[in-house]
Amino acid sequence: MQLSRRHFFKIMGVATATATVAPAAADTWQSKSPPDPFGCLVDLTRCVGCRKCEEACAEVNHLPTPERAACQCTIFEKKRRPDDKAYTVVNRYFTGTVDENDTPVPTFAKVQCMHCQDPACVSACIVGALTKDETGAVRYNVDKCIGCRYCMVACPFEIPAYEYFDPVTPRVMKCTFCYDRISKDGGLPGCATICPTEALTFGKRNTLLNMAQKRLTQNPGKYIDHIYGEKEAGGTSWLYISAVPFETVNLPVLPDKPMPKLSENIQHSLFSYLWSPIALFSLLGAIMFGTHKAQKPKETPSQKGGRNA
Amino acid sequence: MIKLIKRIRVFVVMAGVLFIATSPGRAANTWTAPDQEAAKERAKETVPFVSAYKNEGHTERKMRLLDQGLSLSDIHDVYFLLDSPIIKNREDHYGPVRFAHKRHAALIQDCTRCHHYRPKDEAALETTRCSACHQDAFNSEHPERIGLKAAYHQQCMECHKAEAKGPTTCTGCHLKNVPDHTQLVNLPDNADPFQVTAECLRCHETQGKDMIKTAHWLWKGPSPYTTGHSKEILHGKAATALNNYCINVISNEPRCTSCHAGYGWKDASFDFTDMSKIDCLVCHDTTGTYKKEPTAAGMPAKDVDLKMVATKVGHASRATCGACHFNGGGGDAIKHADMSRQLLTPERSCDVHMGGYDFSCTECHKTRNHRIAGRSTSVPVAEGKVSCQDCHGENPHYSGGLLDHHLDNHCKTLECNVCHSPVFAKCKPTKTYWDWSQAGDKDRKPQMDKYGKPDYNWKKGFFKWEESAMPDYRWYSGYMHRVLLGDKVDINAEVINLTTPVGSIKDPSSKITPFKIMKGIQAVDADHDIVLVPHLFPRDKKDKTAFWKNRDWNKAFKDGMSVAGLPYSGSYKWKKTWMYWRLEHEVMPADMALSCAQCHESLKGETTCNRCHQDNRNVDFKKIAHKGTDFSYMKSRGRDVEHLINKTDYINFKALGYEGDPIIYGGRFKQLPMGYGSTP
Repeated sequence: MQLSRRHFFKIMGVATATATVAPAAADTWQSKSPPDPFGCLVDLTRCVGCRKCEEACAEVNHLPTPERAACQCTIFEKKRRPDDKAYTVVNRYFTGTVDENDTPVPTFAKVQCMHCQDPACVSACIVGALTKDETGAVRYNVDKCIGCRYCMVACPFEIPAYEYFDPVTPRVMKCTFCYDRISKDGGLPGCATICPTEALTFGKRNTLLNMAQKRLTQNPGKYIDHIYGEKEAGGTSWLYISAVPFETVNLPVLPDKPMPKLSENIQHSLFSYLWSPIALFSLLGAIMFGTHKAQKPKETPSQKGGRNA
Repeated sequence: MIKLIKRIRVFVVMAGVLFIATSPGRAANTWTAPDQEAAKERAKETVPFVSAYKNEGHTERKMRLLDQGLSLSDIHDVYFLLDSPIIKNREDHYGPVRFAHKRHAALIQDCTRCHHYRPKDEAALETTRCSACHQDAFNSEHPERIGLKAAYHQQCMECHKAEAKGPTTCTGCHLKNVPDHTQLVNLPDNADPFQVTAECLRCHETQGKDMIKTAHWLWKGPSPYTTGHSKEILHGKAATALNNYCINVISNEPRCTSCHAGYGWKDASFDFTDMSKIDCLVCHDTTGTYKKEPTAAGMPAKDVDLKMVATKVGHASRATCGACHFNGGGGDAIKHADMSRQLLTPERSCDVHMGGYDFSCTECHKTRNHRIAGRSTSVPVAEGKVSCQDCHGENPHYSGGLLDHHLDNHCKTLECNVCHSPVFAKCKPTKTYWDWSQAGDKDRKPQMDKYGKPDYNWKKGFFKWEESAMPDYRWYSGYMHRVLLGDKVDINAEVINLTTPVGSIKDPSSKITPFKIMKGIQAVDADHDIVLVPHLFPRDKKDKTAFWKNRDWNKAFKDGMSVAGLPYSGSYKWKKTWMYWRLEHEVMPADMALSCAQCHESLKGETTCNRCHQDNRNVDFKKIAHKGTDFSYMKSRGRDVEHLINKTDYINFKALGYEGDPIIYGGRFKQLPMGYGSTP
């Protein structure tokens, strides 16, 4: 290639200048979260680990009955994750707290899709099979899904699961927030319906945030002064309050900014006014032009003849 | 002609209706337990929602209530059923919880622990019901106010955990509702018993595996409360247990095992590892139609609609437990003096738990993995123990009256039912004497005794029956000494005790306990000094040795002992044998317990408390110390208790090892300051 050093710097200079100017336009990123979504507050100090939520979830979503539904004997010995057969699971954590007899006090934590305000999975989905609903639910449309599983990679909570066993019509499986139920007036998600201690409180997210804040203020020393999900990953519909640090119950430490913000910013800045394709193709064109020009004088009549032959 | 047929048809239909209406199953539907019924009604009430509450500090509120003089005697509702339409609104998986309100109040001594706030309205009741403030969950107007179900759960479980007392698991308080099995059970119309069991095991294999390890299946197991055998696991009806009723199962299986929770235990070849022979329905029938053939080794009667019974399975009940346990010894109330078919629909005064509060057997006899808690005095095997203290605690008297302290002190020395069930076989006569030596006379006409019970049966011998009888009292530590099959006995003794309660006046853990003593005459090998097992029930038509066919004791003993694998010398002796059967059930309501004066003769003439207390308080001593079991009322209701009216020294202190009335002579460990006796 006959691209001269000077020529190269000229092109790169223009490209860099445009690239640095472009992100300024990205600050226009707007959260697409619904204005007044539902939420669910999980108070880990109230959870007794009865796993009724698992049972109720399986029942209302027509999933297989959870393993050892009638007996908690050994189920907590392994840490489980929500999978294609269970939208929610309860795990037991010993976080070092002991009672007056030096017996470790367990903390039980339910995990399910957090229904992020700005979900990474929705952003990652290339066909729009995942959408964030007005109710706050992140809904999945199996008819649109092409099975790329980008959502599974994108989710910061590692929630979506895949029906690997089904080669013909596999689905992405995750908590639906019982969309059909909560969109009806007075409807509750299956898990919250059954929770015997109201460790799960269902309501409008804003109400729940106030309520959670009130619990933290009114019980000083009982809770960690933090509402998990208020800001994590830009805020989630499911909120947690706890007496033990959240990372000890396997709730990941996440930045406050919405997960899609960075990726969408990059994408959006790359594609605003189509500058990046234009720049790219200009660059490629320039290279082609340069190389073509450099090759032209070398063209010989014999080559022409050869072509005719 | 057509008219006639129509008439006949109408008649038949009417007769059918009449039959259904009068059959015991239907009669049971009209019976209700009064305390339980009242609690159910209370639970149905929904009270107006209290939206505003007075926000005051806990200690402040506690002091205020104490200043008001609120005490135990202000509690009107002793018992609640924690149930409400509010709770069942969203789901209904568990049965309601029994809540002993007054007992909790007595233990906690602080109303504000549960009644944490009062309504803002000053005119409202100071301690309102939980459901006044806590109703439906997720009330959008009061988002912080938790629902009734969560309020119960948080309050109960938090306290039970904090105090390390009381149940904290779901089934610790609740009975799980059995789902409707109509759609779940898949059986042909004329299903045989083994098909039913296979169908049950299709989903309940774990339960099947559990069942074949239990005492109800094996008829033997651990014998922790039998002295000398406490570490052994092989004693029980199927192995070594003896009694002076029909003596032993061995060689008589097809008759005896009609009470076995299995099918086809005909002889020793029965395979106890085969789950397909479990009889699930005998315990889980709810229809009252399931019956076993009396002599068919546990097979159900031919006319039982097994499919119908299988689709309506549920929890074990008094009816299913009672099908065997009420009929021990071959008929109603024969063996267990404190259990009879009367307990299917008992009056409150007969048994306060079952008659007043509609308890099922398993509410006390807690069951885990199909192992049913309870230690019997009659058989060695036990899978956990049950005692009154499990629910009532060590200090169960909390009326708020003057006697509580004195009565609680009695609990260190007396079993509860010494006072709370002063007579046994209250409504149905029980067998108390059985002389096998007279059996075999087919010509002897049975005479009816005063209770209308026959005194003779050629197969079994001579009997005596007792009704509303006074128990025998013995010191008992929870352990029994037993003569087991093959044990040498003292052949020259006047009486051979097949079972004896182990206990002593000097042992702090022994308590005075009521027993029915079953007295009998049965055969003992004259040379080997072991209690003989007769072969009674014929194996088939060709049986040449069974006593109930051939009436030859020698042949019966020879056959029975050879099946048992024990020697028989050929000569036997009729010996008197006694068995001590502890009385546990048929607890009467508190106000029918024995009074102080019924045992303590020395209190007869007293009119004040100043024998011991130096103050002269204004107390109606007669009322608190004399009002007790009213035998003249029981007599008026047809009970055979005339000899007990005006009885004093009811439990007979001298026979128990005291010098006399402990009020005069002092207790077993402590001499009373005012007494003039010496401690024994």
